[in-house]
Amino acid sequence: MRCRSGTVQTAFQPVLPAASKALRETGKLTIVAIGSSTTAGAGASAEDRAYPAVLQDELRRRLPNADVTVINKGVGGQSAYEMLLRMDADVVELKPSIVIWQTVVNDVINHVSEDKLAKILRKGILKVQAAGIDMVMMDLPWLSREGRYPRYDEYRAILKKTADEQGVSIFPRYGMMRDWARSKRFTPEELVGMDGTHMVDAAYRCLAIRLADGIVGALTGARPELAVSPRPTN
Amino acid sequence: MFGNLCRCGSFPYLASANPFRMPFVTQALSRFLFLGRGPEGAPPAAQRDARIDVIRGLALLIIFINHMPGNVIAGYMPHNFGFSDAADAFVLLAGVSATLAYGNLIERRGLAVGALKIGARVWTLYIAHIAVFIIVCGVVAAAVTRTQNPLYVEAINIQPFFSDTFEALIDVLTLRYQPSYLDILPLYIVLLALFPVIYLAVRISPLGTLLVSLAIWQAALWLGLNFTNVHAAGWFFNPFAWQVVFTLGVILGCATQRGIAAPRLPWLDALAVAFLVCAYVAKTSSGNPIGIALLNDWFDSVQLGSDKTNQAWSRLLHVAALAWLAMRWLPAGEGMLRHAVGRTLAVVGRHSLDVFCTGTVLAITGQIILAETGFALGPQLLVSAVGITLLVGLGMFLTWYQSITLSGAADASAASRRASAQPH
Repeated sequence: MRCRSGTVQTAFQPVLPAASKALRETGKLTIVAIGSSTTAGAGASAEDRAYPAVLQDELRRRLPNADVTVINKGVGGQSAYEMLLRMDADVVELKPSIVIWQTVVNDVINHVSEDKLAKILRKGILKVQAAGIDMVMMDLPWLSREGRYPRYDEYRAILKKTADEQGVSIFPRYGMMRDWARSKRFTPEELVGMDGTHMVDAAYRCLAIRLADGIVGALTGARPELAVSPRPTN
Repeated sequence: MFGNLCRCGSFPYLASANPFRMPFVTQALSRFLFLGRGPEGAPPAAQRDARIDVIRGLALLIIFINHMPGNVIAGYMPHNFGFSDAADAFVLLAGVSATLAYGNLIERRGLAVGALKIGARVWTLYIAHIAVFIIVCGVVAAAVTRTQNPLYVEAINIQPFFSDTFEALIDVLTLRYQPSYLDILPLYIVLLALFPVIYLAVRISPLGTLLVSLAIWQAALWLGLNFTNVHAAGWFFNPFAWQVVFTLGVILGCATQRGIAAPRLPWLDALAVAFLVCAYVAKTSSGNPIGIALLNDWFDSVQLGSDKTNQAWSRLLHVAALAWLAMRWLPAGEGMLRHAVGRTLAVVGRHSLDVFCTGTVLAITGQIILAETGFALGPQLLVSAVGITLLVGLGMFLTWYQSITLSGAADASAASRRASAQPH
């Protein structure tokens, strides 16, 4: 249950009208995960340990009657602008009912101007919304030393502000990772990997479980299966 | 991957089917035909044009600064004020200097010798690319294990090398995996390998070649063609698109080689300047400065960025306008070497492969130093100054080294001239 420590403080309750409707009418739930390294699965021990693959397993287990597909469109190192350029081909054309957009971290690294970033995010969101797809934006990762990127919080604020303005739900990854790190239930290696790179399997698994909690909750009204099943988490 | 190259076999045929009649081109054409025969007709031993080295040196230093994002100085670099950036200029000049080095060789010694020499150069570029890759991996590995900052790996998309070294190694060797910042040498390898074909086509008809080149670019864009990069959408510099810039460079190089100067066309000068001014206004204003609603989307899109991967008309026209003005108004021959700045930049530009490789490693090291010091202003300026000094110093050292080691090189200027014949 350690993935769910701090569920109250960092609640994820997305609004997914298009996905609910599609699931009700067609029995299908298709999700595209677009993003950079976290989505591509950098640091995972195998491809099926990246968060989109785990999310697909979790959703299939919890929604046994639905036809669930999670498509991974993660490309390491990409900025929000580069993802905007492929938003049509990699997202809209696949006609999913939910898009999970994990971005901004490379814009922090590349110091993309903050106004420009807000515009890029807004364009990406509008493009997806215009296609009648629900969107979830993933917050930035928590870092043990943010001082390296003095405007890290400002970039997080832009992401939040833009998402709020467009009525997009945010998956509070930052808060979750911080809580996981502080809870002492994870070793630092589990969270960032032995070489200090990215979340490894345990953290990806937790991300996927918390995403699944929120998505299943929004689609069925179910609460997270706290201590119900003996093996939903490690 | 290299199967794609056969595409260009269509160059000479299509080009020869298009005899264009513009005065500039016709003059070049007749001279090409004339000069192609016999040693007597060999092109005039063209004096090395210092503009190429100077601009290339400048582009190399700009690339170094730009490869450290967040550096205040990067905010004043040309890409903020126009559509094209140092990469476009660099590829264009690569085309020019490849023509001056290998085009002349092909004229003097024939295609086979020229192709062999190009093969040797491509091999050098390949080895340089692999070496830079390994060194960069080492730098990042050292930084990450000491600082525990996962974003250094993210910044250059180097994770695949650490998580699946076997696969990544094979992909690196076959150029199918290119981390960020390590993508321009693979492009240059492909372009230089294509050089004989492009050069022969340009000899037949420069304008025809340019049209074929533009058609290949647009067709690739339409069909979504690119070379494979297994950990990204494709090559960051799509060779199908960037061959246009290189081809333009080969055409300019051929004109230089034949001693054809840019004709006096004041209206074209004015047009080029007007285009650069428009680009400046579009890039630097926020929103739509002229208020025509129809153009809102266009202004938005140029301010957000341009498609560097597939080139873009705005970038191509911008670099072409710059090239035109440079040919018309920068002093030709050795004119730019009269000032210390020109001489310094020329020394950097003459050793572009060494400077580029060193600059890549220095820039990635610099990125890490900037982040570790929280992007404070002092270290930013210091890192930039030290980097530039090292790169300029490297250029000077190599010039000196060549002058003392070249066999029978009492004449230092001959040495440097020979050095300049080595493109990129």
